[in-house]
Amino acid sequence: MTSAAPALADAGMQEDRLWRWLTFAPAGILLLAFSVLPILNLIVVSFLHVSWSGGSASFSAAGIAHYRALGGDELFRAGVRNTLVFAVFAVAGQMVLGFALALLTSRVTRGRIIYRTIFILPILIPGIVIGAIWKLMFQPDFGLINQIFGLIGLGPFEWLKSASTALMSVIIVDIWHWTPFCFLLFLAGLESLPQDVYEAAEIDGASVWQELAYVTLPLMLPTILVTLVFRIVVAFKVFDEVYLLTSGGPGTSTEVVSFTIYQRFFTEDRVGYGSAMSVAVIFLVSLLLVLALSARKRLGPA
Amino acid sequence: MAVHPAFGISRRSVLAGAGAASLVGSLRRVHAQGRVVPITIVVNQSPWFESFRKTVELYEKETGNKVELDVNPFAGSLEKQRNSVRAARGQYDILIMNSGWFTEMYAGGFVEPLSDIEAGMKLDPEVYSLGDTVYWDAAKKNMTPAGKLMSMPISPLIPLLYYRGDLYKQAGLAAPKTFAELEANSRSFHKPPAMYGIIQRGARGPHTVAYDFYPYLYGFGGGIFKDQSAGDYSVILNDAKGKEALDYYIRLSREAGHPKTAAHDQAEVIQHMVTGRTAHIMMVVAAWSQMDDPSKSAVVDKVEFAVPPHGPGAKPSPGLGHWLGGVAKNVPDDRKRAASAFLKWYMTKGAQVAMAKFGGIPIHAAAYRDPIAKERKFRWMEPMAEALKHAVNIYQFPEASEVIASLELGLNRAVAGEITSAQALNTMSDEIHTVMAKYSYNTGKLRPL
Repeated sequence: MTSAAPALADAGMQEDRLWRWLTFAPAGILLLAFSVLPILNLIVVSFLHVSWSGGSASFSAAGIAHYRALGGDELFRAGVRNTLVFAVFAVAGQMVLGFALALLTSRVTRGRIIYRTIFILPILIPGIVIGAIWKLMFQPDFGLINQIFGLIGLGPFEWLKSASTALMSVIIVDIWHWTPFCFLLFLAGLESLPQDVYEAAEIDGASVWQELAYVTLPLMLPTILVTLVFRIVVAFKVFDEVYLLTSGGPGTSTEVVSFTIYQRFFTEDRVGYGSAMSVAVIFLVSLLLVLALSARKRLGPA
Repeated sequence: MAVHPAFGISRRSVLAGAGAASLVGSLRRVHAQGRVVPITIVVNQSPWFESFRKTVELYEKETGNKVELDVNPFAGSLEKQRNSVRAARGQYDILIMNSGWFTEMYAGGFVEPLSDIEAGMKLDPEVYSLGDTVYWDAAKKNMTPAGKLMSMPISPLIPLLYYRGDLYKQAGLAAPKTFAELEANSRSFHKPPAMYGIIQRGARGPHTVAYDFYPYLYGFGGGIFKDQSAGDYSVILNDAKGKEALDYYIRLSREAGHPKTAAHDQAEVIQHMVTGRTAHIMMVVAAWSQMDDPSKSAVVDKVEFAVPPHGPGAKPSPGLGHWLGGVAKNVPDDRKRAASAFLKWYMTKGAQVAMAKFGGIPIHAAAYRDPIAKERKFRWMEPMAEALKHAVNIYQFPEASEVIASLELGLNRAVAGEITSAQALNTMSDEIHTVMAKYSYNTGKLRPL
């Protein structure tokens, strides 16, 4: 009896382990099929030259040649530089505006459905429609923006055609597009904050600014960080706004990495090199994600 | 005459009726033999598309055959063609291929030679072979009539100089033949923003600023490679002539053109001409029909056409930006035959004259001798026929898209003022040399400027 008990316990544990693996397997297989394998495939192709002959593809080893070529690629360098500028300014604008809007509206109770619907409208509009809206807005001859500037005797400005204003114009479009996303997350965060802390601050005689600086912002920090991470990752993927409004030009003034990959991989059909560029971008975004998540860990859960 | 009372018709009538029925039946059989299976053509939405669509409709009406058109933007058309030809079974029967990518299709083995579909099929001697780009010698990897007939010309696009005839008449000027005359005339008309001397296409795209630059580069006697036909791919882009051409191009844009040339694509260039805001454009001939369309143009009957100008000691050199129609290799044989039947019909003089009337650009020399060529409406045909004699085939190798990408970036940056002309030419030459060396072509490069 005494020798049979551990054996039964062992058998039970083995059965338990098997059961755990069996229940995990479907999710694991799906993860492997849809997430890991495509990226592994991309990584493998990034070390190959792909060419076409006799109607079929042929592959030859490229070693790290594609990765070495990235540093000398003028377009890729411009893409990375502009993507960083784009991400910093667009995300900063969205965060500040989104937070301000959320603060202003968090205590409004009347007509909340209407204003929230209006505020979130830009994130519901398809990218192609946003391109059409802003192409018209920035149109030099009859665009709304130039007409407004014209009322005070300024312009007309060629917003998308001038190297000095094109990137800024695309950033403005992105801020318009994605501020509602930040607004929604911040509003949800603000509405979930404990009210007793505010009551205590009020009893202590805190001003509105002190309440914001010493109560709201510290409590909202984890939400702010999560929103920041989301937005930076999405900002790095910007493509449709650039493709529709400027095609990366004039010169390289609005070139972003996604557009560079589109050109190298699809237009030029450089599959191996385009894959290497894609892997590099995945690495960059993952790095940002890891940095942001570790910062979040230090600050505590949202 | 015996009459069959029951039906009230004579024996002669019955016999005549039987004969007629037999004749109709045999005609139907003949007609049915001419019928082929439906085909699908993948084509781009370009200024010449409407004329192509109407010509296809005429083919359907005349033959009873069915053709479906899959219409796409320029880059989208290439992507769809690649996806289709690389599949086990293709979706598209006829590929409408641009000068920038047809070699990729030939060399990749994606196009069935027309002479393999129908033995003995040849190009009508009156049809332009456009730098022999309809042929491909797979062994030698070049384009000469010694190779197989791979495609038919669809649209022989080259740029012409469009100029405001009314302004020229007022100023007592003649159409410019040299670049010096073009510059002088552009400067004389340059009164921005109401009127620009010239509008150029300086934006970066799939084949945009580079295509606009070719008539200048080759018209000054320069080039990209030393001698492609002889297999010498030494890069000569940054020689003195290349520098002269690019400096001229940039000077023209800055001193007699639009300050935002680097952002101008084809649509904007045409828009400036049809709204009467420029005296000249160097534009692909296919845009001619828009000039005289009262619903689109404020300069109806005011635009004239001329052969692109040239530099001292050089010839006019419009770059071929033409379109070829090839039959996909990975479609069933009956669809290949149907595609071949369409292409054969398309190259007849009748089809080509009809296409010119629809606003297209004929590929048949006889169409340019047709009485319509003398009509005011078709005043572009004479300079076109002359310019075609000087057309330059820019690329004869399948990796052209990589070279074009390098040119697009370098030229656009130079026009935008991001880098100097010398920097642009040196950078582009280096990159093109790297591309050619990577694919083991016989190449070399000049010392940097």
